[in-house]
Amino acid sequence: MTKVGRRTLLAGTAGLAAAAVLARPNIARAADSKTLEVWWNQGFYPAEDAAFHALVAEWEKSSGIKMNLSMVTGAALDQKVVSALTTGTVPDLIYSDDGTALTLPQAAWNSKLVDVSDVVETQKNEYSETALRSSQYFDNVTKKRSYFGVPFKAQALNIPMWRPLIEMAGYQMSDIPNTWDKFFAFFEPVQDKLRKKGQRHVYGLGYTISTNGADPNNLFNQSLIAYGGAGIVTPDGKLHADDAKVHKALVDTLNMLAIPYVKGYVPPSAVNWGDGDNNSAFHSKGVVMTPNDTISISTAVMDNKQWYYHDIVTQPMPHDNNGKPVDVMLSVPQGFIPKGAKNIDGAKDFLRYLIQPKNLGNYLKQARARWLPVMPSIVKDDPYWTNPKDPTILAAITQGVLGPTTVWPSVYNPAYAQVDAEYIWQVAIADVIHGMKADDAATKALKQATAIFAKYQTA
Amino acid sequence: MADHSVAAAADAAPRRRARSFWRGGLQGSDSVWALAFLVPYIAVFLLFVVYPVGYGLWLGHNPALYVELFADPIYLKTLVNTVVFLAIAVNLHLFLALLLSGYFLQKGPWVKALLLVFILPWAAPAIPTFLSIHWMLNGEWGLINNILYHVFGVENGPPWLTERWLTFSMVMVSYIWKWTPFWTVILMAGRTAIPQDVIEAAEVDGAVGVRRFVYITFPLLANLYLICTLLSTIWTLGDFNTVFFISGGGPALSTNVLATLGIRDAFLIGQPDLGMAAVMSALPLLIPLVILLMRRLAQSRVQL
Amino acid sequence: MSATFTPTNATRRRKRRRRLYITGQALIGLVLLIWTLLPLYNMVEVALRANGEVFSDSLFPPHPTLMGFWTVLTENYWYVEHFWREMGNSLYIGVATTVLTLLIGTMTSYVIGRLRIKGAWMVSNAALLTYVIPMSFLAIPFYRVMQNYGLGDNLWAVILVEVTFATPYAIFIFTEYGAALPLALDEAARVDGCSPFGIYWRIYLPLMAPAMVAVGVYSLLLAWNEYLYLILLLSSEKNMTVPVALGKFLNSDEAPWNLMMATAVIYALPPIAIYYAFRRYMTSGLTMGGVKG
Repeated sequence: MTKVGRRTLLAGTAGLAAAAVLARPNIARAADSKTLEVWWNQGFYPAEDAAFHALVAEWEKSSGIKMNLSMVTGAALDQKVVSALTTGTVPDLIYSDDGTALTLPQAAWNSKLVDVSDVVETQKNEYSETALRSSQYFDNVTKKRSYFGVPFKAQALNIPMWRPLIEMAGYQMSDIPNTWDKFFAFFEPVQDKLRKKGQRHVYGLGYTISTNGADPNNLFNQSLIAYGGAGIVTPDGKLHADDAKVHKALVDTLNMLAIPYVKGYVPPSAVNWGDGDNNSAFHSKGVVMTPNDTISISTAVMDNKQWYYHDIVTQPMPHDNNGKPVDVMLSVPQGFIPKGAKNIDGAKDFLRYLIQPKNLGNYLKQARARWLPVMPSIVKDDPYWTNPKDPTILAAITQGVLGPTTVWPSVYNPAYAQVDAEYIWQVAIADVIHGMKADDAATKALKQATAIFAKYQTA
Repeated sequence: MADHSVAAAADAAPRRRARSFWRGGLQGSDSVWALAFLVPYIAVFLLFVVYPVGYGLWLGHNPALYVELFADPIYLKTLVNTVVFLAIAVNLHLFLALLLSGYFLQKGPWVKALLLVFILPWAAPAIPTFLSIHWMLNGEWGLINNILYHVFGVENGPPWLTERWLTFSMVMVSYIWKWTPFWTVILMAGRTAIPQDVIEAAEVDGAVGVRRFVYITFPLLANLYLICTLLSTIWTLGDFNTVFFISGGGPALSTNVLATLGIRDAFLIGQPDLGMAAVMSALPLLIPLVILLMRRLAQSRVQL
Repeated sequence: MSATFTPTNATRRRKRRRRLYITGQALIGLVLLIWTLLPLYNMVEVALRANGEVFSDSLFPPHPTLMGFWTVLTENYWYVEHFWREMGNSLYIGVATTVLTLLIGTMTSYVIGRLRIKGAWMVSNAALLTYVIPMSFLAIPFYRVMQNYGLGDNLWAVILVEVTFATPYAIFIFTEYGAALPLALDEAARVDGCSPFGIYWRIYLPLMAPAMVAVGVYSLLLAWNEYLYLILLLSSEKNMTVPVALGKFLNSDEAPWNLMMATAVIYALPPIAIYYAFRRYMTSGLTMGGVKG
């Protein structure tokens, strides 16, 4: 009796479970053209989000489509996106600040994204060349490169420095050299002199060489280009591990980042910093300078007029050792539509609306120029962006919008995104710090990179 | 408390009689009730354990994933860390909990007051507390080294989070800080369940202090202690917060454990199947632990 | 041994030992106090700082102020502009998780321990299988499963996940605790004509109260400490919870650490209050039969 009962019970509950699973088509959201499910990265300032909400409201009015908008913060959004793309239960439109680095090239490669060429084409003449190149990814199923993301903003490295600390050390801002090695070397004696003046625990160089966040890869890859290693991945998506020039640039970069650390000019904890830690170290005047991918260090303290307009000086990346301007790597965050979206037309319609220069300019302005516009006309048409009274924004725009820029290698091949995500270069830096020769560390790292590229063969 | 003394007073003889009463008299309506009472859990089990676990296993079923996993240069380090974490942190914090459970059962109002404070790490949410520890341990500007400097005049405190084993020790210390209170409470419960007459008899025989602990208390607690160790080991294998917020796996990816490696592979490398494979590589350890736990529990019930 | 000492010697010796004991006890107490409170002090200390002072590296807040707490409580900063709604959602999840865990846990353990149908042990063994794959790794499977069940962006998705991981432990504790209760009570009630449900409701549950308090606190804290599933399974603003709001701070340029820590301290209060309210039951409720083995 009890035995049979148990079996009936198990069968019963299993049946219930099965029914719930099979009922899925009825429960899941059916295709519909009147609503739009959107996941959008939360902004960094209230005004930025408010501007976005206003833009959405305008669009809803003109299109008659209701947007279900979820504003999510960075790290959380990435996990949601990976889950959605893995399981196929996706929203109609996604934008994630960090998604550009890995998610987009990888998902495009696996043919999980909708081609958005028709959206990008509507403003093709407005976009900067780097923005256009940054949004063309390789689809390994159709074996074609096409637009899978709609670019609308960008960021690039620049270097905030404390003027009072440099002057306390007995230097003028004009003393700072503008070629790569000399620029970074300048801060070593600054530290020595500050220490002599009783500034306990102040460090000259505040760069991150950890295995967390985006900061360590930003500086590493930018330095690699400054040392002539731009050819590490060519636009056809191939890795050139055997190229002597690339190898030399790698060795130079490893030495440049590891040696000052060993000599004590970088905070020891920099090997364990997250993206926010260098900001905190800088704000507490623990470091004289720190490379950062946006001008967020300055904009965060905008209310402190003394700091924003005078004490914190934003320096664009210095020239290479031959005195030539270095192409600045531009990361170009993009919105994208996953395959399986229920309202592709609605998503495209919204993106077309978003990238109209007037709409985009108004939106980006509310983010205090933390994001660079991807359309030169936006900058030229509105004096806000080039106001000489605001040297921080001016420096960022001059470098990232008006100066020479280049594309991240991960656009050419998602394998490079994985190289960055696995922090292969930063482990190599740690190897050098622990006594390995930079040459050997570079060889070892390149071997690992080659293994990753083997999984992503373009030809 | 009153219920408990009722339980202790329970006599074995009527219980045996009652048991046979139940067994003999299990009628049709009873089994219907029994089944009805089981339905909710069985539904939860099928809907939220069998289905997702099955899906998870399916995600990680491709053998090629394991080739890729083992080829990852940090995998071996991670495995070593995981074993060290389980062997040291889990055992150390349970042993501490065992000692402290005796400490907190002493008489005196301030011991009770101290217990209320001691329980705070368990009751406070994990993220901000771990973040606070992470800041405290900053070698240059953290609270610990600041105290060392201001109070003891130590110019350069230890670089807590920049060398592999020191960093990993700090991860383990944080873990011990967070989870010792929970197990202390459990073991206190275990100690209070030891019948008072056993202890009194032991005292008459001259077993006091350390001797009482070694010969009386610990043997009586041994089974519970083992069960706690097994449960804690199983839960700790899946603990992601401690490493993630204290060290972030750094420096140079040298302090990951399988849980953080799996999450990294799934979400930062964008390969959920590889993340699943990382966890599944722990199954040869996890499954025996779960089986051992089942057997231990069955055994303790038989003896009741 | 003691016979060789004169009485006065023995008394002095006992006194000295007693003093040593008290000193030792106090010393251990002091170490425990510092050990426990240091990280918490750091949290509260940052929470008490004024807005511009979060970066100063002094050991105490230069100008301690409750403004941080006030800002959070009045929702006067954009990260915490929905603080009370988020707190409400967190409480909802916590309470629902606790109630469901207690209900399902006691029902199951009642069958296992009291009705004793053959093979009921299998259920508690099967429950332990839940722990074969750690919670954090089932994130992606759960994301899909919840969508299939129509629970996308629904607080109940999180509640059910928490219940799933809390019940095995609940069943375990309840079965162990229940084993110590005399079956004679059931028998008597049965003779009086009580149905199994009546026994469960009128006899079993009241006797289980201490264990239910203990497991209740455990499941509440499990839900309270959750982060991963909150961000994964919920997306809309109306379903945000406090841990997710805490996560926002980590992503911030402005580094309002004082407000973040103030939020964290407030968030930590409900479970602490509940623990303190029920602390009498905690130790007795967690008693496991395992002691006798």
